Amino acid sequence: MASTLPTLAIPGQRLAPVSSYAAGPGTHVQNANIYASIAGPVLVNPASSKTAKSTLSVSRSPLRKAAPAASPSAPKSTAPGPSKPRYNTLPAVDSIVLARVTRVQKRQATVSILVVLDESASNNKSGPQPTTTTTTPTGGSSDNDNIEAILSSAANPENHSNSDELRFQALIRKEDVRAVEKDRVVMDEMFRVGDIVRGTVISLGDQSFYYLTTARNDLGVVMARSEAGNMMFPVSWKEMRDPVTGAAELRKVARPF
Amino acid sequence: MTDRRRINGPPSGTRPAVFASSLKSASGDATERPRRHRQPNELRKIFLKTGLIPSASGSAYLEYEPSASLAAARSSPQSLIPPSSALKLACTVHGPKPLPRSATFSPNLVLTTHVKYAPFAARQRKGHIRDASERDLGVHLETALRGVIVAERWPKSGLEITITILEAEDDRWWGDAPDSHDAPWGMMNVLAGCITAASAAIADARIDCLDLVAGGVAAIVSDDAVAEEGSSSTPKLMLDTDPAEHKSILSACVVAYMPARDEITEIWLKGDHSKASLGVDDSSLGHEALIDGAINAARGAHTVLVEAVLESAERYAGLSSSDS
Repeated sequence: MASTLPTLAIPGQRLAPVSSYAAGPGTHVQNANIYASIAGPVLVNPASSKTAKSTLSVSRSPLRKAAPAASPSAPKSTAPGPSKPRYNTLPAVDSIVLARVTRVQKRQATVSILVVLDESASNNKSGPQPTTTTTTPTGGSSDNDNIEAILSSAANPENHSNSDELRFQALIRKEDVRAVEKDRVVMDEMFRVGDIVRGTVISLGDQSFYYLTTARNDLGVVMARSEAGNMMFPVSWKEMRDPVTGAAELRKVARPF
Repeated sequence: MTDRRRINGPPSGTRPAVFASSLKSASGDATERPRRHRQPNELRKIFLKTGLIPSASGSAYLEYEPSASLAAARSSPQSLIPPSSALKLACTVHGPKPLPRSATFSPNLVLTTHVKYAPFAARQRKGHIRDASERDLGVHLETALRGVIVAERWPKSGLEITITILEAEDDRWWGDAPDSHDAPWGMMNVLAGCITAASAAIADARIDCLDLVAGGVAAIVSDDAVAEEGSSSTPKLMLDTDPAEHKSILSACVVAYMPARDEITEIWLKGDHSKASLGVDDSSLGHEALIDGAINAARGAHTVLVEAVLESAERYAGLSSSDS
């Protein structure tokens, strides 16, 4: 505890002994010491209980407004500015992802994962999450602006064919679509090609596909276009409506808020 | 009809090759081998910058300081042929990205490395298809990096590291005749540069690493100044040798070294100095001394690497405007 933690760490830098902290993401342990394994700002997450140790981690994303307790001398974190966040986080079990449907079959739907939503953004739901479902941006942080940019380009039918090989592919099996009446699911009434789906990863799957599920109220289709090509709005948990033609289409809709 | 049973001479006369090194200088300032002005344990300055290629998830550019002779030749050119060259290379890291469909399941990060010389990088023009030496460099680089990356944190994904060498080191002085000590010595300097640059680019891509691995080169050279006097050519250990500056390199070693853990992930030793008569002062001029020299050179490169990665982290964290 005698040595103070650095604001910025580089790979291979010794941060603290394991006796005083627990190792979090972006760090590794060697010889009972915590070392940084990526370059970035050092964060300390205070312990949840008295007996547990604080978790030491190296942030993969730029500093947020929730300034870490370790570095009160970093006031610049309020202005993320031009540094764009990059999502090189991998889908892991239980992580929430946004994906675009690329193929619908009788037993499964194939999707390609666009964004792995940041854990901190999905845990403390302080409002920015519904921005993905509505068409009016409510001015979230720069991360969510970026997600909107990704989604709006992905929902555009012109961009559908490109860079699918560069994205992680996933499957939504028929029995993972919803929690009730699993045997009556008709995939064509749940997803269409081009829909943007919010799902959660249930398995890393096999060599080529992750497995997703949408069997929760807040999971399902968040953005969809009708047959006429207009962006639709949700009217119930299984129906979306075209604002221009008024035609209704069936989807497994995610709860918008 | 030519006689196939005998080795025939060429049909027309040929002239023997004349090398600049064997020419007696008539005007006095004829072409001369560049000399090393640095101390034996002094490295060339390194320029290293990360994040230059926006489309890649991580990138780095590395450049060695031109030797004094090259700098002099550039300021007042006497010949169209530069006396030596200085390493310049760019490294990009793409990924982590999904594996190709044909690949089998991998619970770890799959690392692929490509090293390519630009066609204009060396004195001999390189083709567009990677040749054996470039593939060899790629394999060496992969072994150097595989020991550093924490691969199990990135299941089912691949990482592609591509290095383009814009200017390569010479294997020997261009005016020299090929001799028995010939070997691609310049490749070892190139590999050390590749390791350092790739390490910076991987850190820039935020891939988990055990440490920043740095490359370093050391060589045992027989000092040509003494050799010209005749009797005793004392082999000496030099760090970060420029092959153009030395008449004969007996052996050289390149290591990829992790200073924080004191571990070597890649070692490449080439040459033979067992027959060299050892000087009195360098009584311990063995393989270990050579490896230690390469490690010292890597430590030097590591200090540059630390600065470059810190700069990357500051820019990334949005602290670049702060007074640090």
